[in-house]
Amino acid sequence: MADDTLDPLIHVPTRLKIVATLAALPDGDVLSFTRLQDMIGLTPGNLIIHLRRLEEAGYINSEKTRNGTAPQTTVALTTNGRKALAAYTQALRELLSGL
Amino acid sequence: MNHGPGPANAENGGHFDPQQAAALLDKTTQETRRKIEPTPPWLLATRAAMVLAACSAVWLSVRGQHPYRGPTAADIPVLVAFIVINFTATVAVAKRATAGVSGRSRLRPAEIGVAALAWAAAVVVVAALAAAGVSFSLYPTTLLIIPGLAWAATMAARADWRRCATGLAVAVVGVAGVFAGPAGAWAVAGLGLCIVLLGNGAAIVRRQRG
Repeated sequence: MADDTLDPLIHVPTRLKIVATLAALPDGDVLSFTRLQDMIGLTPGNLIIHLRRLEEAGYINSEKTRNGTAPQTTVALTTNGRKALAAYTQALRELLSGL
Repeated sequence: MNHGPGPANAENGGHFDPQQAAALLDKTTQETRRKIEPTPPWLLATRAAMVLAACSAVWLSVRGQHPYRGPTAADIPVLVAFIVINFTATVAVAKRATAGVSGRSRLRPAEIGVAALAWAAAVVVVAALAAAGVSFSLYPTTLLIIPGLAWAATMAARADWRRCATGLAVAVVGVAGVFAGPAGAWAVAGLGLCIVLLGNGAAIVRRQRG
């Protein structure tokens, strides 16, 4: 099976969950790091590692803001990230239809 | 589903086959949509049952009134309890669902202001109509027309067509009540709002599964 047609950056369970979670947000919305962590069920350290990989590829964008006195990190999928997930989903469909 | 914790699986997807990936993608998308939905279908269904019960209770007590005098003293606590429970549950559920979510989908202060102004305007218009002796000013449904239209206009500006349709449907319930008479308007309000809420819930379920 031609698994190599699947974007290796997304084709990892944890990162697929991260990208799918962010893609399910309404357009123009961002998610706080803590809520994302809660939804994915990862330790902060693990989540940071995966987010860094996705950010380096330009798939996500993270931003530090101040929510009152506490700093807050928000994460969102970029346009490139959405396109990459759409291409990944299409590749998955083609692979599965060929089974 | 277990996606396997092995190192190859975790990092480069070596044992993560396309079927597992497709299942995980679907599951995560549906779960996320469900978790961040500020008005979950179960809440809408509960509100639908409550509004039907509250308005039906009032309708049963006023339908024999000739002339119409309005809800009795026993009905008022039912209506107040309905409004308070409805508002509290809606705010609590929405707050929990949208914790950590910010951006375009959240209502802006100006939009909340428009909604509040619409309710205030509705009360003023109804009071003015009542002072002028217009019969349908005392119908419960009359109060729904202005807020329904204001909500529809606000959501149309956002291109949120589901919520725009909800606002229009509420306004239609308001207009329909005008033709039902003072007692019948309570039945129209209960049944109409129940249908609007259930329809809204069904649309959300469809979107979550889409």
